[in-house]
Amino acid sequence: MTSLRDQIKLHEGLVYDRHAYGKGPGWDPELIVEKAAPLSAIEREGYDLLSDVELEIFYHKMLTIVEEAREVWQNLSISDIILAGDMSTAVFTPSGDLAVASTGIHFHALLNYAQSKFILKYYRDDPTVGLRDGDIFFFNNPLAGSTHAPDMFTAMPVFHEGELVAWAEVGGHQGDCGSVSPGGFNPYATSRFEEGFHMAGVKIGENFRIRKDMLDYLCGSVRNPFVFAVELRSRVATCLRMRDRILREVERRGPAAVSGGLRRLIDRSSELASDRLRQINDGVYRSILFNDTIGAEKGLVRIPVTVIKEGGEMTILVQGVSPPNGKGPVHATWHLVRASQAVYLFAYFFRGLMPNVGLFEPLTFLIEGPSVANSPEDVAHTEGTIISAAVVQSFHIIGSKMLFDSPFRENVSAPFSRNMVALVFYGSNLFGYRATGITSTGNGAGQGARFDGDGEHSTGFYWASMTDAGEVEEFDARYPFTIIARGLLGTDYHGFGMYRGGSALIEVSMAYPNPVVMTSWGTSDVISHNPGLFGGYWGPPNPRLTITKNDALKLMAEGALPELTHHSLAAERQLGGDYAFESSSVNPKEFEIGDVFLCDTGSGGGYGDVLERDPEAVMTDVREGMISADVASRVYRVVYNEETLRVDHAATEALRNEERQARIARGKRFDDFIGGWLAQKPKEHLLTYYGDWPDPRVPGYDKPFWGEHD
Amino acid sequence: MRVRITEYLDIDLEREFWCCNRCGGDLISAREPYKRGCLLHERDPREIHKPISDHPVFNYSFDPDWVRIIEFYCPHCGVMVENEYLPPGHPLTNDIQPDIDALKRKHAGGGAS
Repeated sequence: MTSLRDQIKLHEGLVYDRHAYGKGPGWDPELIVEKAAPLSAIEREGYDLLSDVELEIFYHKMLTIVEEAREVWQNLSISDIILAGDMSTAVFTPSGDLAVASTGIHFHALLNYAQSKFILKYYRDDPTVGLRDGDIFFFNNPLAGSTHAPDMFTAMPVFHEGELVAWAEVGGHQGDCGSVSPGGFNPYATSRFEEGFHMAGVKIGENFRIRKDMLDYLCGSVRNPFVFAVELRSRVATCLRMRDRILREVERRGPAAVSGGLRRLIDRSSELASDRLRQINDGVYRSILFNDTIGAEKGLVRIPVTVIKEGGEMTILVQGVSPPNGKGPVHATWHLVRASQAVYLFAYFFRGLMPNVGLFEPLTFLIEGPSVANSPEDVAHTEGTIISAAVVQSFHIIGSKMLFDSPFRENVSAPFSRNMVALVFYGSNLFGYRATGITSTGNGAGQGARFDGDGEHSTGFYWASMTDAGEVEEFDARYPFTIIARGLLGTDYHGFGMYRGGSALIEVSMAYPNPVVMTSWGTSDVISHNPGLFGGYWGPPNPRLTITKNDALKLMAEGALPELTHHSLAAERQLGGDYAFESSSVNPKEFEIGDVFLCDTGSGGGYGDVLERDPEAVMTDVREGMISADVASRVYRVVYNEETLRVDHAATEALRNEERQARIARGKRFDDFIGGWLAQKPKEHLLTYYGDWPDPRVPGYDKPFWGEHD
Repeated sequence: MRVRITEYLDIDLEREFWCCNRCGGDLISAREPYKRGCLLHERDPREIHKPISDHPVFNYSFDPDWVRIIEFYCPHCGVMVENEYLPPGHPLTNDIQPDIDALKRKHAGGGAS
């Protein structure tokens, strides 16, 4: 019998199961694509030492170690992004495989292994580097396994009486990395050499201390040296705390039991993942998203995802992707796309299972390269997360379609909102030191609607649900701007459906008390990455809005500042001033004291047919300002008294039946529709970076459905 | 025997047919994309997502030069089974292609795959 996987045809001349770039100084992509390493001697010795019950207790002990470490780091750090939770702490096997991860950004933990494996293979026995107790390593090079240069990773080996028993590692978004643009993001970068320093598994400390010369080098390379120094020290302190805790377990259980136990946790996760997969229907599933920018320029970019589920295994195929363009930073790497899927897999698809690399063992990733998803070496990478996130969004949609007819329907939903417009600031803060970074508004993403209810508002960070958008007062002190309003009200600014998407946190900030330099980058100015599910409409796009030469400070002094919401600014212009609606990818610009910025991450997509939404829920949305009267009647087809919001249920049902009949009247049979549809094509200037239309890799593709290759 | 595959789609396993979950009406063979059995309608996305600001391009709605909505309706009851947001003229998505034989084995008592 032909397997489903055998039906997939990979294009010749492209790579799928590995990176589109080769080995270089400090990186070896072959190491990154490997699955969990074979059992080492100490892992084999200790593999069966713990009973099943003891293994469970051991897991919970290790989990408390990484969760405590997360608390330690957040308490020591003064980096706002770390304070907001954009980080992870984790314990790895002696071979460098992820065994136990804290809540936070799981994909960071799935990237940190790259430096451990490289060190073990290339530096451990190198007389100029070596690997000893007390060593501290650091990396941020995307080619070596990082996300992008602003994400920085620190690792310490854990030795017991000269034997390597584990690794303690932390990863998180630090921000400024000395790139051309403040804050690390450079939407106009055309090569990686414009994106700051790139370190790949560098030993920055020995004997449990950071080397002074390395600290000076790093701090001298960034715009916020004070923050950076405190931040790096807090990372090392966190690793040290994990090391101490792990060694206590070693003293209690013995080194082999700890190393073997860590490895067995990975195998246990792998077994449980396969078991879960076997309970889900076999088939081929697809979803597709498009991006509207390459960074400096607008342009359509294609990111399709196909998932082949068969038995206890699953293949994730990213094929037919737009080629690399070399004109902007929206390029992901093979390992970033793979690791990013943990965002969906750990929190939804494999929810309840131990989040470690074992959950990836039954999965095969085929990511076409060279492409924007599996990019070559010298392109710019800082915004590669746009591509990897688009794959996650599609995987979330696919996963929900797989899980509906399974015992895991409770995990069915539209994805988190991910229409990023990240404002990146640089300037002096109230404490007088230079600060730079992105706002944490993204941590207030709206949840997609669920199979049994509306999406929650401002739920968490797209990349990590257990995050915080930060305290306003903290931001006012630490950042070179002031938050003047935060709220949820974005009228008509979410995905409609039987269940509606949740609203993002909407933040209005101001350059104050000093001028600030601000740039921004984003994903969705005219399209969206917030899909709906099963007929639910999508969360809409969100471009950038700045309001200069405004009267906000004057109104504040008079106590007359109006309520600032998305709607009151974008639609009603309740502040006087010059409104600039523009692309979210904008070069750094200096803003004057009092200039105002609107920022959010978009809102979640809807679930199901709008005509099936409870009319009373529609009225609640009207009452709360979530939707306008226009949407209530035009989209939801609810008949009601606009003064009392009392629903006329009979008239509503009649109007909805009328609309259902209108759909049948205007809808075309497939064969009558498809010819006219396929004859259309986007304007040529939108396709500059797309590749061949409509399939970038198959000239003249003319089938009614994509992905059907002979 | 009918198996519910999505919010709006069932599969009749004996007849191997996609059916509407709401009205029970037949759509098409379960070995074909269910979208072939639906009624299709192309929308300017601004009909649903009205621009919020007055800017001609950056207005918090979708630009129809970049994307259109295709709605898929049950031909019998008019429920919206699914929709797609695609650039104009882009091929559609065969989003769910179940292994019908494996599904039949599962429900014949053979358990999950």
